[in-house]
Amino acid sequence: MSLLSFLARRLALAIVVLIGLSILLFLIARVLPGDPARIALGPRAPEYAVEALRKQMNLDKPLYTQYYLWISSLLKGDLGMSLLSRRPVQDDVKEYFPATFEEVLLAAIILSVGGIGLGILAAKYSNSWLDGIVRIFAYLGIVTPAFVWAIMLLLIFGYWVPIFPIQGRISPGVTLPPVITGMLTLDSLLTGNWVAFWDTLKHLILPSLALAMAPMAQAARIMRSSMCSDLGADHVAALTAYGVPENRILTKYLSRLSLIPTISIMSLDIISLFAAAFVVELVFNFPGLSRYGMQAILNKDLNAISGVLLIFGVLFTLITILIDLIVAYLDPRIRLQRKSI
Amino acid sequence: MYSKNLRKFGVVLVVSLILALVASCGQAQPSPTASSPSPTASSPSPTPTTAPYTPKAEDYIIRSTEDWPTYIDPAVGNDFSDSISLVNLYDSLVFPTPQGEIEPCLAEKWDISDDNLTYTFTLRQGVKFHNGDELTAEDVEFSMKRLLTIGEGFGYIFSPYVQDCKAIEKYKVAITLKKPFGPFISALPRFYILNKRAVMENIEKPGPYGDFGDYGKKWLLTNDAGSGPYKVKEMKMEEYLLAEKFDDYWGGWDPDAPKFFKLSATSEPATEFALFAKREMEITSELLPLETYNSIAKLNGADVVAFLNGNNFNIMLQTKKPPTDDIHFRKALAYCLDYDQVISNIYPGSVQSQGPVPTVIPGHDPNVFQYHRDLEKARAELAQSKYADKLDQYPVTLSWCAEAPEEEKVALLFQANAAELGIKVEITKKPFGSMIADAQSPETTPNASLIFVASHYAEAGAMLMSRYHSSNCGSWEQCEWLQDPEIDRMIEDSLATVDQQERFQKYYAIQEKIVDLCPTIYVFDQAERRAYQSAYVHWLPGEAAKTNKVYVPIMGYGMYAHDMKVWPEKRAELLSKP
Repeated sequence: MSLLSFLARRLALAIVVLIGLSILLFLIARVLPGDPARIALGPRAPEYAVEALRKQMNLDKPLYTQYYLWISSLLKGDLGMSLLSRRPVQDDVKEYFPATFEEVLLAAIILSVGGIGLGILAAKYSNSWLDGIVRIFAYLGIVTPAFVWAIMLLLIFGYWVPIFPIQGRISPGVTLPPVITGMLTLDSLLTGNWVAFWDTLKHLILPSLALAMAPMAQAARIMRSSMCSDLGADHVAALTAYGVPENRILTKYLSRLSLIPTISIMSLDIISLFAAAFVVELVFNFPGLSRYGMQAILNKDLNAISGVLLIFGVLFTLITILIDLIVAYLDPRIRLQRKSI
Repeated sequence: MYSKNLRKFGVVLVVSLILALVASCGQAQPSPTASSPSPTASSPSPTPTTAPYTPKAEDYIIRSTEDWPTYIDPAVGNDFSDSISLVNLYDSLVFPTPQGEIEPCLAEKWDISDDNLTYTFTLRQGVKFHNGDELTAEDVEFSMKRLLTIGEGFGYIFSPYVQDCKAIEKYKVAITLKKPFGPFISALPRFYILNKRAVMENIEKPGPYGDFGDYGKKWLLTNDAGSGPYKVKEMKMEEYLLAEKFDDYWGGWDPDAPKFFKLSATSEPATEFALFAKREMEITSELLPLETYNSIAKLNGADVVAFLNGNNFNIMLQTKKPPTDDIHFRKALAYCLDYDQVISNIYPGSVQSQGPVPTVIPGHDPNVFQYHRDLEKARAELAQSKYADKLDQYPVTLSWCAEAPEEEKVALLFQANAAELGIKVEITKKPFGSMIADAQSPETTPNASLIFVASHYAEAGAMLMSRYHSSNCGSWEQCEWLQDPEIDRMIEDSLATVDQQERFQKYYAIQEKIVDLCPTIYVFDQAERRAYQSAYVHWLPGEAAKTNKVYVPIMGYGMYAHDMKVWPEKRAELLSKP
């Protein structure tokens, strides 16, 4: 099977997955306790106002009718009205998704570079003091949840040694770049607004670092273990005998092999960053989609819940397809195996 | 060789980027844009030389934080953060004084018809909206009709009573009631006046309100149409509200009054602490854990104050479900609770409630009976209960609110205290949404519900109506299902009494009767705790709390920035100290 047909098959399966996901999300949102209209208007709103909102949200109709109406709107690109923000969900998504995306993107870069780099270092200097430090960092990282990292980083770099801002996306007084992608760092770069670029990057550092710490630690451990187990392989002995420098063996030959399990785990970690981002966004008052999504769940904002989870579902599907492609690229055996099928 | 050089170049590039980033972090704030100066987020740098510090306009700012989201539409918002925003952006016909009285605001005076059904307000002339339009009776008429039509926000206060609102002259408006409503003037601080022209220019059609489209609801999410002391400069829906001083405010300005007011969505204790300690926040929220307040209290120039906020905490006993349908059983529970434990260890600073109306709310009966822990009396009451010999068959089901974690301690204490009488209490933690759903029928309402209640407006009648009138059964505020026709009649009669003294006497009689029926265990009046930068901010509720002066709180009015003062030079001085 060629890579192209593999991709086509995965995308077709993804559509089936997303349909199933939409049904699940729809049902889950509706079994959460509480009346969404009552929660939205507050407990003291008169019954006629609550009833009017229920009708507006089609909550007075049977479940299958509600699903049909929701899917029909979804296919037209209408995610419905958010009870929390009182505006179309797609407006909220347009505003908050780029914030979370650039936060997670930076976290993904940090965790990839940091995790792989630390793993290679630990493998190269295995059983030395450097390996010990990486091991301690890994254990700490794995047991420490993202919100604890967030609070620690906030206190260390936002209060005791205040070198980074601790709330928001951009400082007041800094000119906002024109909206191109919605990601402030990228938009600033594209428009040459260096002041905004540095400022928005500074605002991203602590939240992204907090998100990246735990998965980076895990990636470092997996990378180290994978490389250490491959170090005793015959081909490595052959390369060494041929006089290939150790660093080259590590970075060019071994790391590619070791990356396969590491990237598979990292992909799941990157996807879970979107969920972990909720607490981090709370700590840093970062206006992102994860925080918005969690508030939607707590307030039973049905349309917002469905919209946010659907977007994360699509992201999950796309990221897993991407990771499969990367793994297939890294490991020729997978490509060749598929060609021979 | 080539790849080695490339690697070296890559390392040098990354290190340079990191150094540049760290270097730029320590630089002063970028200068504001020429078109719209904005308040700085970081502390003003204290000048190291002998040159005096010269505060900029943006340094005159009060920053606080509250629970989010915030709705700044007067017909939509009714929560704490909404109220804070509304009192600063809008004006009402009347204004509540710190002593709990009502004084004229947009209305200079008012007359009440002989049948107590028509209130005619004479408006102040020359009041400007933020867009320069003059405020007239037409705007008042529009605002009331909009509030009643939309039915959200504080509309629930007025919809049972207001029949019509009509502009009878350019500066005269008449509000006609369906029935006499004694506390009507006390309730008016919740009625905010919008600019009709501004709203109508920004309505979106089609909408649920016919010719009025969406009634400007979408536009008012991020804009204001008010005449209040502050106007919206920036409203970032998930982040903050930044309001700037309205120079033409009819009420005038103190030279030290803040020029900016910012309300943020920050609710994490560590973040609030860090911002406060860096002097980037002037008043904290009331939601912090006690440990955080204790840490803040150690900071130089900061004070933590607690004042009764007019809310109370209740154990609502379901009077239609066994075993709490028995009055003696309920009284036994009221006598067995260790109130002192709750006040000293779980909610320090609060005071034990005396009856259904918090002590600071006008109309509270100071002589109403108050229960105290007395196991002998508890046993004596239980012995008279029809369930005395069947306690094992009738456990008491209790729900507490998951969003208020400290309530669990009260639930466990109640369970332990009840066990001393042989009463079994089954505790369930529930999201508030579930408690609202449970309260809708007597079958699903548990025997006991732990709930904080706030008065809709600053008078006892509001509390008595929402808590004990049968028309409010099925709401989370009334899990007792009392449904007592005599109490209903007394409440209706008191609310229809226009003379305040007479009305208050009727409130006292209702409170005594209710306490005698014991449908509720009144645990404590809540103390709202906040920290503020007393070294460079003058904040009325804070100063009143420190000097034990009377302060009658109405939700949101404690954060009326117009009456605050801020001295940025003192802030700079504080920051220059280690």
